[in-house]
Formats: sequence, structure tokens, C-alpha cells
Amino acid sequence: MLPLLLLKTAQKHPVLVELKNGETYNGHMVQCDSWMNVHLREVICTSKDGDRFWRIPETYIRGNTIKYLRVPDEVIDKVKEETYKRDEKRPNVFNRGRGMRGRGGGRGEGRGQMDGGGRGEGGRGSGGRGNRGRGQHQQL
Amino acid sequence: MSRKENALDLAKFIDKGVRVKLSGGREVEGTLKGYDQLLNLVLDETTEFLRDKDDPLRITDETRSLGLVVCRGTAVMMVSPTAGTEELATNPFLEPGAAE
Repeated sequence: MLPLLLLKTAQKHPVLVELKNGETYNGHMVQCDSWMNVHLREVICTSKDGDRFWRIPETYIRGNTIKYLRVPDEVIDKVKEETYKRDEKRPNVFNRGRGMRGRGGGRGEGRGQMDGGGRGEGGRGSGGRGNRGRGQHQQL
Repeated sequence: MSRKENALDLAKFIDKGVRVKLSGGREVEGTLKGYDQLLNLVLDETTEFLRDKDDPLRITDETRSLGLVVCRGTAVMMVSPTAGTEELATNPFLEPGAAE
């Protein structure tokens, strides 16, 4: 299970984010990206010492200031479910690994490419580029 | 999860008051005039909230005016709108009955 995949699945769920400076932010995750930047809504910010609180309608937190995040347990189940579904669709992922060479790297993106049926003759076919990522979006 | 994707959508904050926390502990508030994908920000009529000398984590009511500033993206920790932000008097995580 990839950390960022878990985080992406946690979208629309309540999360707790603790920053390196000790402040915590409780809110609903609207969005996160591959830098772990997160966008929260209906946030309660707690100071480091835990005795001051602010209500903030929404906030954008830069990923590199995050110490850790807490996500609800049910998100784990959701990730497992989705990974399972995805693997089921493409049973022998390993045989098709060649298409993953190139810009996609070995990560989720590479597989999304094949999902869309967009692996052109060249392996880096331009059809694949458009599908990558977006195909995965719909699954999540 | 595409690499291009950005959780950042500051367009809706343009010409609105935003509060920015910077790494190192400074906090500023100003009108967002511009930004880029690196999260560099242009803030106008900026005020900085000064911190307690003995407890640098704690911001005080004291402010100082900075005017037009550019915040470097790498130093930005948090951006939120000023409107609707309020300090709460009681701990919102306590049971509703217990806080009263």
C-alpha cells in the first residue's frame, strides 16, 4: 500500500494533519497531490501546546511541512478494495511490464497507462500519456 | 495521481484577505495579489503578527505593517482565507456538555 495512494483515498474523509511545528489541523480533506500538499475544509487548528483553537473554513497546507497524518480506519479498507479491483481487471500485469519503461516509472501511473489501452507501438506512445493518471482518477 | 495535479487553487483567493504561516514561525496577513505554481505569493497591505518574546510559538495582538511583499514559496507552510477564521474560546474537541 502506497502512502500517497492511501492519502488520495482519504479524500472527502476527516483527517488530522500534524505539522513539523506541532500544530494540528483537523478537517475534511478536499484534495491532495503528489507532493502531499493538502487542501482541507472546515478545519480546526490547534496550537502546539493544545490550548488555543481556531476555526478556519479552508486551508492549504504545504506537503513538506507535514509531520504525519491520521486517517480513519475505513480508508484502509477502501484502499484494499480498490487495489484488488484494479488488479483483477488486469490479471497479468507483470507480462506487460515493458510498457512501463519510460517516463511513467514503476509506479501507479505506469499501470494506468495500460488500463486505458493506450500503449502505442512505441511503448511511450502518445496515446498513453493522455490516459495516464486520468484513468486512475476515475477509479478513485 | 498525475504529477501535474495540484491541490492548490489560490485563484479564488485573489484580491481577498489571506493568512499565511511561514516556516520559522512568522505569520502574515494580506490581500493576495498573485501567486505561481511554486507557491510564491504576492501580498499587499501585509501585516505581520508579532510573537511573544518569551514564547515564540505564541502570536500576540501586536502587529507591524509590511506593505507589499513577496513570500517565497518554499517558506510558505499554510495559506487560508482571513474571512471566516476565528479563534475559539473553548476546546471544540471536548464533549459538548463538558465544555459548558
